[in-house]
Amino acid sequence: MLPWNYGFQWNAGHIIFLGAFYAVLATVAATLLRAGIRSRRDLRTRKVEHIRWHSDFHDLPAQDRVCRHVLTGEFKSRECPHAFDCRECETHAKLIERRPVAEEEIFGLVFPVSRVEVLAEVQAGDEEEFFGLSFPLNRMYHRGHTWAQRESDGTVTVGLDDLASRLIATPDAVTLPAPGSLLEVNGTAFHVRKRDADVRVLSPVDGEVIETGGAGQGWYLRVRPTANDERAFRHLLRGAEIRPWLMRELERLQLTLSAEGAAAPALADGGLPVADISASYPKADWDAVCGEMFLEG
Amino acid sequence: MIGPNKNIRAARYGMTIDVDRCSGCGACMVACAVENNVPPANPKATDRTGLTWIRVYKIDNGLPYPETRSAFVPVLCQHCGNETPCVHVCPQQAVEVDPATGVVGEMPQRCLGCRYCVAACPYHARYFNWWDPKWPAGMEKTLNPDVTPRMRGVVEKCNFCHGRWHAAKQQAAADGKPDTEPVEYTPACAEACPTKAIRFGDLNDPASEPAQAAKNGESFRLLEKLDTGSKIYYRSKREWVRQIANAPHPAASGKESFHG
Amino acid sequence: MDKEFIARGVKRCSTGKFLLWIVPWAALLAFGLYAAALVLVKGLNQTNMDNRFAFGLWIFLDLTVIALGAGAFFTGFLLYILKIGELRAVINSAVVIGLVCYSGAVCVLAVDVGQPLRAWFTFWYPNVHSMLTEVTFCISCYLTVLAIEYVPIVLKNRKLREVPSFLVFEFELHKLIYVLAGVGTFLSFFHQGSLGGLYGVLRGRPFAFREGLAVWPSTFFLFILSAAAVGPSFVLLTTWLVEKISRKKLVKPEVFGLLGRISGLLLSVYVIAKTVDTLIWINRTSPESGFPAAQYYSWQPFGTWILFAEIGLLGLVPALMLLSPKLRAHTGWLVAAAAMACCGVALNRFVMTVQTLALPTLAFDRYLSYFPSWQEVGTFLAVVAFGVLVYSVSFRYFQLFPSERELKMQVK
Repeated sequence: MLPWNYGFQWNAGHIIFLGAFYAVLATVAATLLRAGIRSRRDLRTRKVEHIRWHSDFHDLPAQDRVCRHVLTGEFKSRECPHAFDCRECETHAKLIERRPVAEEEIFGLVFPVSRVEVLAEVQAGDEEEFFGLSFPLNRMYHRGHTWAQRESDGTVTVGLDDLASRLIATPDAVTLPAPGSLLEVNGTAFHVRKRDADVRVLSPVDGEVIETGGAGQGWYLRVRPTANDERAFRHLLRGAEIRPWLMRELERLQLTLSAEGAAAPALADGGLPVADISASYPKADWDAVCGEMFLEG
Repeated sequence: MIGPNKNIRAARYGMTIDVDRCSGCGACMVACAVENNVPPANPKATDRTGLTWIRVYKIDNGLPYPETRSAFVPVLCQHCGNETPCVHVCPQQAVEVDPATGVVGEMPQRCLGCRYCVAACPYHARYFNWWDPKWPAGMEKTLNPDVTPRMRGVVEKCNFCHGRWHAAKQQAAADGKPDTEPVEYTPACAEACPTKAIRFGDLNDPASEPAQAAKNGESFRLLEKLDTGSKIYYRSKREWVRQIANAPHPAASGKESFHG
Repeated sequence: MDKEFIARGVKRCSTGKFLLWIVPWAALLAFGLYAAALVLVKGLNQTNMDNRFAFGLWIFLDLTVIALGAGAFFTGFLLYILKIGELRAVINSAVVIGLVCYSGAVCVLAVDVGQPLRAWFTFWYPNVHSMLTEVTFCISCYLTVLAIEYVPIVLKNRKLREVPSFLVFEFELHKLIYVLAGVGTFLSFFHQGSLGGLYGVLRGRPFAFREGLAVWPSTFFLFILSAAAVGPSFVLLTTWLVEKISRKKLVKPEVFGLLGRISGLLLSVYVIAKTVDTLIWINRTSPESGFPAAQYYSWQPFGTWILFAEIGLLGLVPALMLLSPKLRAHTGWLVAAAAMACCGVALNRFVMTVQTLALPTLAFDRYLSYFPSWQEVGTFLAVVAFGVLVYSVSFRYFQLFPSERELKMQVK
């Protein structure tokens, strides 16, 4: 093989053959090395949460990845290209700039409503209950079912929204981050355990944890956000988006419940969701249900 | 690998085997085994798993008594000169054609035992060591010190008694002859043949018997149409012998049998 | 008990039941390993191969499983290079099948050679004229590529991905998967072809010898075609089998139809090419070597029926079945056609290995027969057991079928 091997003759055939072999080996090694180096860099720059979310998002079924503007009817169908991080999205920026028309359904009829009017409605302290769930309009909502409320002192409180609370009810265990921990949008905020479910709840904001609350206090975390401008909260749902979003979420919950072995009557019968949904479906795979609703896949 | 040396006057060693003279005695098979340290067959060996570098086949003309005629054909490695099949297929280059002698030599130390060459050889002249070689107590005294014994799991075959070639080369050097000239020697089978049916020589030397046989019209090579450049020229005056060697196997056969 | 290792939302049987499934296969594996150990320790005399039947059951089976495992590279090529997105549903399963087939073949090869410890000689003293060198290099490289492609599947396990370095590495590796798919396609093209070339170059065996293009005999290209044709069929077959055994819907029905259509298309091209090649061989190549083709089929049981079975019954017929949308729509016909196609390719490999060696070359030779010994069969069964074990574990703990959860929602 090597030039000093007795009597070995190099010819074109050898060069082509061995050239191809070493090229293949080099390519494979380079690929592995590149993946390895990038991984090390990701670990060092603490992009683990970011990657975890992107990986989870990638594995969600297509219907769970719809753009928020499909919920409000601005698109017929569109898959979110930014893993629910609307802060970077040009399309979202364009849409809210032009203050496009949003649609609100009242008594089964569709009325075009502008965002200005929607916000005006909010100020008026309009209905806060959707489908029997309490969603105060002065809060902003994350698609992973947490809410974020901007306080007067510049901090943000974070909690589980009403649908999530009813799914978890009284959690068996809650693991909150220690004060001083850093959160990032769509990263892990905290963990809850209920029955066989062990889910991580997504964080709606970037920031540092100042104080921790608990299930009994109505809020879970108080966070000092990294940025306090409008752009930092752009990805959160609010106002007229909540109703269509919740409708879809309840549909999703229904599908999940029936798929995971729940035999109880469906919510669409017109019943209101109970305070402890988990107790009504003792046989359902609660881990799967929560995983689906909290977007953990 | 053997390096090229342009100063050597290359030999092309070959053989002529006179089928009409072969009596089927098998002395060549025995002499070959003794010379080349071929181990005695394992008790479980069959005619298809034995080591017989040269092997005498019996053929007959297929006619019923009293027209039946037989002949004996010793078959060994033909040392193919034209795109040698076994050399081409060996993945480790454990077989090579020596440009100085034309001998197709096997390196058992490099052989992986994949048996691709065994499948490639149309003459079935290559043999695989299915068992560990074992000589009964006392028989190791008969081993030829000039020839390496092979281990289990490698292929071996006739190499025109390369040990004897080496000995002849050393003798020639001792006699003061130039190193670039081919040497004359006799392999074990040719030496042992009582009827002188097997004759060995340099095909490049026009005076040698194989060279003369090559030009003779009665000579033929096995499977000529495959164009392997075989260096073994068989001779027979009998037409039916020539036909069997060259003709494809007749469809309704079963009458020919081979005995090892 | 091991629920935390099983993916969320998918149902797998209890740990006890799983162990009950595993135990007989593990026992078979142990028996097979014993047979292989006998061969390694005592020598190849434990097999029924001999100097005339230098290749036997193992080489035939190696060639067949490598052809069947072609689904791994071909599905990867179709998905990552040609961007046929529906095949995402089966790519993981195909990779596992490929890994099992190739690693099994390599292990059997290690037992099949006389001196396994000298395997590195081929890399150190390569003979670039030999097809077997090419096979060795390509298969070693490709096995490495398959193993690397298997790593992300393992790392995506529910428990393992909680380890940050595993999560991150899997993510980064998956971004570059198309490079591996491309390399895999390149390597597979060559080694599938070289396996065909192994027999096509044998001038000393006119039954197998074919003319071709430059140094590559026609069997080189025919083997690539047949492997690419049967790869999707085998993926289809295994997916259907797994669906039946696990009693779950794992892929959308359109995926079956797609696999069947791809397979049917390639199989038709293959049948045409093979027919042309056979005609050339019968009328020119073989007679020029001094062997009229008719004589090959004059010995029973290898009569001309084998030629017609290979190209017609198990070649043309499944090709036509797979091409017909009406038949494709019925799972029964689809699966039958896929199975027939796989058998056809197995028969082709059998003909090229075993029948080639059974036929005599010297005029005073005889037609020979061979039957594998129990050690040979045992070693092969070890490979089957190994495959089932690896696949079962992968199916239980890793996500081989991404559509499984989605389909669960749709069913109810």
